[in-house]
Amino acid sequence: MDDNRLLGLILVFAPLSILSFGGGQAIIADMQHQTVDVWGWLSANQFSDLFAISRAAPGPSTLIAALIGYQIAGFAGSIIATLAIYIPSSIVVYYATSWWQNHPDSRLKRSFERGLGPVAIGLLFAGALAIIESGPISWLMMINLAICTAILYFTKFSPYKLVGSVALVFLALNMIGL
Amino acid sequence: MSDIKAQTQPDSSSHENPQLVTPSLWQLMIAFLKIGVTSFGGASRPMMHRESVEANKWLSDRDFIAGFALAQVLPGANPVNLALYVGLRARGVPGAAIAVLGMVLPAFCVILLMGYAYRELIVYPATHFVLAGVAGAGVAATIATGVKMATKLDRNWMTLIIALAVFFAVGVLHISMTPVVIIAIPASLAAAWFTDKDLRHG
Repeated sequence: MDDNRLLGLILVFAPLSILSFGGGQAIIADMQHQTVDVWGWLSANQFSDLFAISRAAPGPSTLIAALIGYQIAGFAGSIIATLAIYIPSSIVVYYATSWWQNHPDSRLKRSFERGLGPVAIGLLFAGALAIIESGPISWLMMINLAICTAILYFTKFSPYKLVGSVALVFLALNMIGL
Repeated sequence: MSDIKAQTQPDSSSHENPQLVTPSLWQLMIAFLKIGVTSFGGASRPMMHRESVEANKWLSDRDFIAGFALAQVLPGANPVNLALYVGLRARGVPGAAIAVLGMVLPAFCVILLMGYAYRELIVYPATHFVLAGVAGAGVAATIATGVKMATKLDRNWMTLIIALAVFFAVGVLHISMTPVVIIAIPASLAAAWFTDKDLRHG
């Protein structure tokens, strides 16, 4: 049972690793789809919780893989999922580094830099939608989302401080029974 | 394998700065653990620049900037990719492995502790409520980043169509990401190739 889960973690995260253009945020939608709908390891609520923790935690956003691995298959799961999310993309970086240095053709490089942008942004917003859909949808959550987006877009307020502030506000709201 | 390693290892003749230093693997490990711990707030790039270029001279400024651009374009978390690049340039494949390990290990330990705390605390209803709020802040960060990135994209129909098609296919229709990306990336690269503006200037 646990062996199957470890193998499953590799099957889910290794392909996502190669597709994680722009980092972990681009693969959130598919990660949610795979772990909740396809493999049934997590409920939508649990996935939303783990996403929240990964955003409150330090380090790269791809480390959500470690958190999901831990939740699904304990410590071994966290190690396997972390290796699966980092090794394939690292191999790509390894080969690309030498290729990049040996090909001064700047038109091709520019095409890569410009061409991956629209795909990454489409995936980014798909991930945002996936998280919104998997959490509770209420007026409170929508207002929270709107205020946080405005703060992060228009000010230089640190995302980590914002996450901490939001946690405190929601804890207070919970205490007064909202 | 071996010739790639030779090309990517520091070769003082190919740099403008002849005084580059080759670190020991131990030095790399300590430096990247330090970067991993101190960049908890997200400032890993300036830290990495200070350690690998300014303080220790493992690679030149120009190489670092090239690595930064590469780390952004390629799949994987940008700070992890940049650590891999610096490690690879400084000490080949073992250096790359050690730099990534040092970079990821501190945050990995913290996130495991948080995962453990989550398992213990989820019995309280308040946990999910608070985390739902935090998830909102996380989504807000994604949206704010996405809007900022979108304003820097080329303003043409192809860009808009590709971004919307990818969003619709993966986000709304829940089509698996792999086939979507296999179609969208070549299409988008081709569009970028044929609309390359700098070509006209020579």
